[in-house]
Amino acid sequence: MSTISRIAREEWRLWLRSKVVVAAAVIVTVLLATTSILTINRVAEEQSQRLEQQVAAEKTFFAQPDRHPHRMVHYGHYAFRPPPPLAMFEPGVDAVTGQSIFLEGHRQNTAMFADTKAAADLGGFAALTPASLYQILLPLLLIVLGHALFLRERESGTLAVMLAQGQSGTKLALGKALALLSVIAIFMIPLIAVAAYSMSLGESGLAALSLVSGYFVYLCAWGAIVLAASVILKQRSVSLGVLIFAWLFAALIVPRLAINASSAAIDAPGKIESDLVMLAEQRKLGDGHNAADPAFQRLQAEVLEQYGADTIEELPINWRGVVASYSEAELTKLLNGYAENRMNLEASQSRIFDLFGLASPTIAISSASRTLAGTDLATHHRFLRESETLRFNFVQSLNEIHANELDYETDINRNNDAASSQRAQVNSEAWQVLDEFRFGPDPANARVSRASLSLGVLVGWLLIAIGVIFMAARRVRL
Amino acid sequence: MTSPLEARSLSLNREGNNVLDGVSFTVAEGEIFALLGGNGAGKSTTLLAFLGFLEPLEGEVLVNGTSVHGDVASARSAIAYLPEAAALYGHMTAYENLDYFLHLAGKPASRDGLDAALDRVALPEEARSRRLQSYSKGMRQKTAIALALLRETPIMLLDEPTSGLDPVAIDEFHDLVKTLAQGGQTILMVTHDVYGACQVADRVGLLRHGQLVGSFSAGNGKRIDTETVHAAFAEREVA
Repeated sequence: MSTISRIAREEWRLWLRSKVVVAAAVIVTVLLATTSILTINRVAEEQSQRLEQQVAAEKTFFAQPDRHPHRMVHYGHYAFRPPPPLAMFEPGVDAVTGQSIFLEGHRQNTAMFADTKAAADLGGFAALTPASLYQILLPLLLIVLGHALFLRERESGTLAVMLAQGQSGTKLALGKALALLSVIAIFMIPLIAVAAYSMSLGESGLAALSLVSGYFVYLCAWGAIVLAASVILKQRSVSLGVLIFAWLFAALIVPRLAINASSAAIDAPGKIESDLVMLAEQRKLGDGHNAADPAFQRLQAEVLEQYGADTIEELPINWRGVVASYSEAELTKLLNGYAENRMNLEASQSRIFDLFGLASPTIAISSASRTLAGTDLATHHRFLRESETLRFNFVQSLNEIHANELDYETDINRNNDAASSQRAQVNSEAWQVLDEFRFGPDPANARVSRASLSLGVLVGWLLIAIGVIFMAARRVRL
Repeated sequence: MTSPLEARSLSLNREGNNVLDGVSFTVAEGEIFALLGGNGAGKSTTLLAFLGFLEPLEGEVLVNGTSVHGDVASARSAIAYLPEAAALYGHMTAYENLDYFLHLAGKPASRDGLDAALDRVALPEEARSRRLQSYSKGMRQKTAIALALLRETPIMLLDEPTSGLDPVAIDEFHDLVKTLAQGGQTILMVTHDVYGACQVADRVGLLRHGQLVGSFSAGNGKRIDTETVHAAFAEREVA
């Protein structure tokens, strides 16, 4: 057995014989197991529920009877964002962004939250997830285990004896590092199991492996920071105090500072605030339900000219359908402009937040974790864009049917009596215009590419901490 | 002929304090040299300098004629060091402690080898598989001495080696040290025990406030006169 592994083995002997350490390990194991099982069950349930709901919503839409096409525009449809497989480890932004949207004509609705699980979150505390345990609690356990790794030898005088046996400070540090590394390897087992399970549910091996690697580097960075403090500092109490402060700073203070700083740097109005501002502009566009709205006079002139007609009654197409289609396109352009602006601002805030990874490895891993799991803000934005495309396409398809398959006269007389109303309906076969919507995470390579900056920051943290350990261990003094 | 241990005009600072000031001495092969002094005289610091743990401000320390700071590794490989507080692991047994430190020294020993060393220091057999946290100070010291013996190095540095030992164990230890010296081992011990130093050492040096202020030796196989050394020690401590 090499000297380095023997030093690591003796560290393990101490840990196993220390009741405090064993108790801490048991608590963390129970927490990890409980949280993993609960989160896996919850996410698996949500995933199957949302998929079923998506299929059910499509079936319901297709099953609608013959109707006036504009009634189907308002009947609407749902788009669901099922959690990706790795959400069972990292639910990410799910809890704060909503996961389903009601799609209808003339509106971009806000994403809604799951109706059943939200109540428990109302206390203001974030739910405990496997990812949050890895990001916050495991570094704390590494501090408990490792803050005195080197110092204990110094304080008890065994450091002098070890060095007097001809061992260098660097070798001792490597032995201690190996001990801590083996602890981290054990910490990784539940995550590896979850990643493997996510692959059985269709997750890409690249994404799962990158997530595991990211957390491994993160915990190694913390382990290296802990060991560096233990080598550099002279007193156990000082080492524990400094490391606990570093943990508080990195895991609790900087993330909140980052949120405040990114919000202060970029003022992003929320959806409701945007909607209020937008209303005024929206009114200028005219009411798509009212074909006689003065806002459509120019359109009317253009269409009449295009078809060589003098009145809208002479047009070969339904003027009301044309107005509905034009109005929807103009309105959507306005809505998309605001939505894109809001999403760009949110993305900029997110980028500023990510920059704080330079001050806290916890921010770097949380950002990489959400991205690799496919539960980040960018994925949510893509969901909003794709569901909006779905909405716009089916609404415009219905408007096209309105314009082409229902003549103007029948349409304007639809409310005269029951027979007129019946005549103004189109065959339900037409509802097949609705596209099937299945939302999934980005391809793995896109997620890895997006997470590369945060992963790089983590590697930077690790390399700096390792460098500090080597420099300090080479000059170790009693 | 090169001395196994030599301090040349050694001056040393620790945390801003001048701990050693121009100390010079040599210890010949097979000789037992005891550095005597009160608290803070610089005794333990001298040993740490020979192990290369502290860098001299001036002068140098040599092990087997080579400057320690030129080659720390060979100095440490030639020296067995017994620290003052018998610094060993409380959560390990005597066997585990010895096995571990010998592994670090690159000199693994069999269980029989460990038992032989523990027999020499008279550590009870029943205690050897118990964790050191249940040991008395003397038992810990015996285990630490056994480790020094097992290293089988040509030089031993002993820091207050009889601290915590009962009178019988002290006598046994002195006999053991003499035997080792007769076998050719060079021994530098630091102590504030005047009687013990005179009992076992071939030469005694008096260290006071970092300076070597006196040296006593006994010729013709006689022991150093305790009264003389005690008087010098007390006089200088008072001074």
